[in-house]
Amino acid sequence: MSAYLIRRSATAIVVLFGVSVFIFLMLHVIYPTPAIDVLGPHANKFSIAQWNRQHGFDDPWVVQYLRYINQVLHGNLGYSYKLNQSVASLFHERWERSAWLSGVTLVLSIVIAVPLGIYQAIRRNTLGDGILTTGAFVTYAMPDFFLYLIAIDLLAISFPIFSFEGPQTTSMISIIFDFRAMTLPIVCLTLLNLAGYSRYMRSAAIDTLAQDYIKAARAKGLPERLVLLRHLVRNAFLPMITLIGLSIPDLLAGNLICEAVFNFPGLGLLFYNSLGNADYPILLAYTLVGAVLVVVGNFVADIALTVADPRIRLV
Amino acid sequence: MTSSRRPRTLVVCVAAAATAAAMGLAACSAGKSGGSINSSSGAFGTVPTASGTPTAGTITWAEPPGSAPTWIFPITPGADFTVYSTDDFSYESWRPLYWTQSGTSPKIDQALSLAYLPTYSNGDKTVTIRMKTNYKWNDGQPVTASDSLFFLDELKAAVKESGSNWGQYSPGVGIPDQVVSASAPNATTLVLNLNKPVNPTWFTENNLAQIQPMPVYAWAKSSATGPVLDFTNPANAKAIYDFLAKASGSTGTYATNPLWQVVNGPYRLTAFNNTTGAYTMAPNPSYDGPKSKVVPTLQAVPYTSDTAEFNAVLSKSVDIGYIPQTDVPQISRVKSSGYHVFGYPDWGFDYVNYNFADKTGDFNNIINQLYVRQALAHLEDEAGYVKAFFHGAGGLAYGPVPAVPTSPYSPANAVKNPYPFSITAAANLLKSHGWKVVPGGVSTCAKPGTGSGECGSGIPAGTKLTFNVLYVNDPAITGEMLTDWASDAKKVGIAVTLQAGTFNHVVDVADDPGSPKTINQWAMSDYGGFTDEPYPTTFGIFNTSGSDNGGFYNDAEANKLISASVTGGNPNAVKAEASYLTEQQPSLFQPNIDFIIVWKDNVSGQPAAIQAMTQYYLNTELMYLTK
Repeated sequence: MSAYLIRRSATAIVVLFGVSVFIFLMLHVIYPTPAIDVLGPHANKFSIAQWNRQHGFDDPWVVQYLRYINQVLHGNLGYSYKLNQSVASLFHERWERSAWLSGVTLVLSIVIAVPLGIYQAIRRNTLGDGILTTGAFVTYAMPDFFLYLIAIDLLAISFPIFSFEGPQTTSMISIIFDFRAMTLPIVCLTLLNLAGYSRYMRSAAIDTLAQDYIKAARAKGLPERLVLLRHLVRNAFLPMITLIGLSIPDLLAGNLICEAVFNFPGLGLLFYNSLGNADYPILLAYTLVGAVLVVVGNFVADIALTVADPRIRLV
Repeated sequence: MTSSRRPRTLVVCVAAAATAAAMGLAACSAGKSGGSINSSSGAFGTVPTASGTPTAGTITWAEPPGSAPTWIFPITPGADFTVYSTDDFSYESWRPLYWTQSGTSPKIDQALSLAYLPTYSNGDKTVTIRMKTNYKWNDGQPVTASDSLFFLDELKAAVKESGSNWGQYSPGVGIPDQVVSASAPNATTLVLNLNKPVNPTWFTENNLAQIQPMPVYAWAKSSATGPVLDFTNPANAKAIYDFLAKASGSTGTYATNPLWQVVNGPYRLTAFNNTTGAYTMAPNPSYDGPKSKVVPTLQAVPYTSDTAEFNAVLSKSVDIGYIPQTDVPQISRVKSSGYHVFGYPDWGFDYVNYNFADKTGDFNNIINQLYVRQALAHLEDEAGYVKAFFHGAGGLAYGPVPAVPTSPYSPANAVKNPYPFSITAAANLLKSHGWKVVPGGVSTCAKPGTGSGECGSGIPAGTKLTFNVLYVNDPAITGEMLTDWASDAKKVGIAVTLQAGTFNHVVDVADDPGSPKTINQWAMSDYGGFTDEPYPTTFGIFNTSGSDNGGFYNDAEANKLISASVTGGNPNAVKAEASYLTEQQPSLFQPNIDFIIVWKDNVSGQPAAIQAMTQYYLNTELMYLTK
């Protein structure tokens, strides 16, 4: 186990190093300096060169990279010249919102998708399975922004039951309990996730139902309820663990379009606006944080798999 | 002072790319015969007269995407210089010496100005400004000439540190560089001595109007608890500037820092959310300028996309908002939900820039010919574009001064197109100058030479009329207009290759002063335009040495006229400049899209204040809520 952890950690460092070099290099090619952002569009070459010299942007890219990594390791993710704030403070102000939106969505999606998938597997090719499958395909195929716009138009404008936008307050308590504002984004995101998750769960459950140990359990006269709970759910859930692990990065930043349409000031929206504003320090930090979360998510999923299935050993 | 680059994306759609694409489908479905508004007037809808009984309350105003304030100190750096953060956010609390907007017209509004019009003497090298006495800081102290002098000295300190510390800075031109000395001999008089004669109108409207008096007694410090310093001492001025600029960079303290609570405008900031950009401003009871009987509280509500803002309008969640260009077809829906609608084009111009240095296919020599530029202008169906692509919400513009809004400086050819849409006229111009016109194909120069009826200098026989146009892919209307124009150009054998790109890409390639390596990679480029200053000189844009002369336009007569606008004594010099440039077509000028504002039926006020919102001026102190 220790050897595995050390090996995975080493791999993670190599992966993160590669990602950081790649992203930094790409950024350097298209955005060698923020001088124009700082000095304005009328800046002349002399003042741009002077600013670059003062801030180290005329150093070789390797030097700039090492300086940046050193800053990151000390908790400094850079500075957004366009928003006049450090990237770390921008992230700090927003991550809780995004985590809440994505976290609730993820939990709801799993809680609904698992029984739904099992139900469909057990009742395969019945009317109920057909209806749920059709619903899942429709939702899965639907562009997310389209679902958001329809939901807003129907439930916030034509019938103003919910708010057309997410909460604008800075208080997390207020956000958590603002059901009127949070319902539409959470329900829409859940529906979108649910479609994929339930299909995964259905497939995994169908595979599991065909396994010999299920047949053996039934042959031994085990009640169907116990067959499902003890043997089917636990085994069919294994692929979902990997899927959930891969969803961890989404907890912080997976809702870019949702946050943009619902005017929800989270990390996804910050990234979206940064794309439009070419605010590269934010984009760089965001990508790096995303890479870290992918690595962490996979790692957590691997560990969780060994807990869920003792046959799997980390070697 | 040069014109500022137009934030065209503020006026049109910056919705989620996918959303915009979806909306765009609807926009594209309107043919050139669509639309219902008289585009020559530019106005979209009307503004009713003030009515109803004023009542206390809060007016919510939709902040367009990307306009959250990131700076509060009146000397705004280039990086933070946007229409909204500068004009709306800052001006609410600190009024400029001269208010240069009156309804939709870009002219000085005397009533809203802190000073009387200046007098010029000493051969237009000395300016004397007399401050009005009714304006006071909110703690009762008068706004004095010394407060204006304070702004100037801090401005000097700021640009001495770095030119980027002031977004409006133009080295050597206007304030502060041309001010050799300044003094405040008494509380109401400010005297400026300049290094050379200036055009009085230009200096007043484009320079003095930038001055925002600042409270010496509260701000002339180098620390929060320090004493008031003599700001006329350059070392002190620098220390004060550094202190104030640092405080301004701390966005999280805007509503709590005592510095920013001392105001002379109609509003004082009471809440600011630096995560979203939302802010609330309470009326300043000491404000003695024009205002309604019951000044409403102002609450700015930020929207991160046009889609979100439009949803807010449809759900009646904001009192004052705007209609994104792609949503113009849904105006009736907005009206029926209880909003008034009024749109007007911005004071400025959008253009497709010519590259007078592009040697690819001898384009530099081709475009240097006036008759070619005239032919290209004849191929532009501005009225058709407004009808089809702007859904009628736009104004025509044939030169750097548009047909609308009207201004005292609009030349005759600003309102009467010198080169009206005519494919025949374009073809005849080419034919009469030695080109073999091949409709649907590629026209070629048949008669090289510089004589009458010949193609012109540097254009060899067989030269083809083919070139590229680099343009921004957002907003979609840019591509729509250019596609239509290229289609008409094809009819006279001009083969145009359209190349779309992101704004940054187009600017990187086509803003040649910054990227000479790409000088031969573009013949024409379209990445927006400029909002004109009240005195609409194109200094900096079409003069040879202009920092925004990205196409290397070089015309001695234009230089002379532009110089007269800035330094000559004729107050109407800019009119001659605009007229000449409209005739010469240094670029292909395009129609201007309307900025369409909406306001709830229970919001009323002076019509001019409501109209001015289309020009990015927010005067909610002149509005009120009705019972």
